[in-house]
Amino acid sequence: MKEQSNNTTTILMVGNPNVGKSALFNRLTGANAVVSNYPGTTVDYTAGTLIEDHRTYEIIDVPGTYSLKPRDAAEMVAVRMLDEHRDATVLVVLDATKIERGLYLALEVFERGIPCIVALNMTDAAHDKQIAVDAAGLQRILGVPVIATTAISGEGVKHLADMIRKAQAADISAIRSRLNGQEQNRRSMAGCGGCSGCGGCR
Amino acid sequence: MGLTADERWDIIDAITQRTVGTGTYRRTLGDALGDLTIQPLTGIPVALGVLYAFWSIFGSFAGSLVTDGFMVKLFDSSWLPWLQAAWPNPDSILYYLFVGDPAADNCFEAFGALTSGLFVAIGVVLPAVLIFYLMMTVLEDSGYLPRLAVLMDTVLHKIGLHGYAIVPAILGLGCNVPAVTATRILETRKQRFIMMSLLAIFIPCGAQLGVMLEVIPETVGLVMLYLIIGFGIFGFVLDRLIPGSNPEILIDVPPYRWPAWENVTRKLWSRTKGFLKEAVPFVLLGVLIVNVLYLTGVIAALADLFAPLFVTWFGVPKETVGPLVAGFLRKDLAVAQLSTIAMTPYQMITSVVLVSIYFPCVATFVVMLREGWRELLAAIAVLIAVVFIYGGLIHAIGILMGVA
Amino acid sequence: MQKKVSDLEYGESGIVREILASQHDLSCLGIRRNKHLKMITRQPIKGPVVVIVDEMEVAMGIEIAAQVVVEIA
Repeated sequence: MKEQSNNTTTILMVGNPNVGKSALFNRLTGANAVVSNYPGTTVDYTAGTLIEDHRTYEIIDVPGTYSLKPRDAAEMVAVRMLDEHRDATVLVVLDATKIERGLYLALEVFERGIPCIVALNMTDAAHDKQIAVDAAGLQRILGVPVIATTAISGEGVKHLADMIRKAQAADISAIRSRLNGQEQNRRSMAGCGGCSGCGGCR
Repeated sequence: MGLTADERWDIIDAITQRTVGTGTYRRTLGDALGDLTIQPLTGIPVALGVLYAFWSIFGSFAGSLVTDGFMVKLFDSSWLPWLQAAWPNPDSILYYLFVGDPAADNCFEAFGALTSGLFVAIGVVLPAVLIFYLMMTVLEDSGYLPRLAVLMDTVLHKIGLHGYAIVPAILGLGCNVPAVTATRILETRKQRFIMMSLLAIFIPCGAQLGVMLEVIPETVGLVMLYLIIGFGIFGFVLDRLIPGSNPEILIDVPPYRWPAWENVTRKLWSRTKGFLKEAVPFVLLGVLIVNVLYLTGVIAALADLFAPLFVTWFGVPKETVGPLVAGFLRKDLAVAQLSTIAMTPYQMITSVVLVSIYFPCVATFVVMLREGWRELLAAIAVLIAVVFIYGGLIHAIGILMGVA
Repeated sequence: MQKKVSDLEYGESGIVREILASQHDLSCLGIRRNKHLKMITRQPIKGPVVVIVDEMEVAMGIEIAAQVVVEIA
């Protein structure tokens, strides 16, 4: 492993196969980043760095999986990565045209209690397919930042990079009660700047 | 917190109910194309067409256009004469190692590290690998591969695999190394083992294909036929011998998409870079090692030792032992070297098939080891059996046809 | 009328009622109870069946298809 400086956060990109995760990864890490293959595990996963607002993020593109109950050895890699990087932040990538199966994986990740942020990708394809996903509504229900992106064109990627620092752990029971209509009392957080990064401010 | 799957789906249904709205979906041209390419009646002819186009573009771009049209001229009429003149003392060991035969008039026969080695790596294999990966990336990014997997499933399911095995198989035609890792998309250990063994044995890599197209263009078809038949036969046998289950295909078939140019170039670059970094040093080193082995008489001793096996059982000249040793380092090198040995066309076919099916190259070996040493040992056992049986079989077929 | 997906005619569709096996894998690909499913094509010689659910295509082996039951309207 590469040595990491103290203010480097590891970001694991997790999502179903074929949701444009790699394209998003390339966008985030940018042209000047080295997409390096880790020694010994060449095609298992790729890692790159993103420097945003004086913070350094090491972004790891985890192989696509449908579930954390893996079906094959490639999906197993995803579970292993999550186990190995317990202090990481997870960027869950959803395909806006296939949101249900993406949410399944997202819930499994949420249950682990790690800080998360959601990229609602392929919004262009969703638009073509006449599928409208309410990103703000999703954010309100899930209680973690949800950012609409189109990795192919780069739309929303800047905003996503900016919001990574607002990632936070989701609370499944809070999600459930929000779905049951019992809007929870706003959690009053010290130093809340009204960023809309969590569900609390809306 | 541990929700059950059903609880998760309930939450998801509630979420999508509140956040997702769908309009009436209008079918697009892409969807119509998608249907046409997955229905057997139209899809199978299209698949054959695509594979044929893949092969002919590969052959004409790599073989005729770049290698014959440019690289051969560059290397044979400029680089080789210049190096032969510039390198001092043709009788020295260093000359033998790096330049090779002082009388050679082409880069295949000189067999020095800087003549044949460089020519094979840059002149023959690089264009082949480049065009292969370009086409592979387009197939991948457009969304055609899953459709091909569905069409091929019926056949592959008979040999213990399923349609998705087409992905490592096609990848293997570029390089076996990433293909071995790609076998992880198969569900069970049995499937992975079968695929890995068949990959290592019967799928020639792009480098090897490129050299084959260059030096034995008239027999490449037959070599490939033998390899495909072997793939089928031994896949069938392995499926019956190896315990374990072979689950059926269950995959998502994505809609067609135009490959994003940026993504294609990016993938192409990283794959080609991988090739340059790993293959070129190996080819040069391979030529050096083989030359040293020739100089020290090791190859001659091995050739004498294995002569009975090669001559009687496989029906090929004992000189082919040298290339087989080289083949462990790089298969492309071995084929190039075979092409300079005098033998009948059928012997050439046999020996090229042998080079393909016997030991995988060092790099493939290493990645297979990473997937598990028990699997690797078992694969080697399978491989030795296959080389004996299939090599003898091909010889026997030749005898029956009266050409061996 | 209830039918197995493996027995559906080309273009026939219905509502998924029962999934007898590999439920987890199928639901991850969108095939769940109460979903509308349409059969697109079937490969010859016991080849896989291709269905469409929520505008998404999924290919499954014939034995898996035999374990998914749909209600035809």
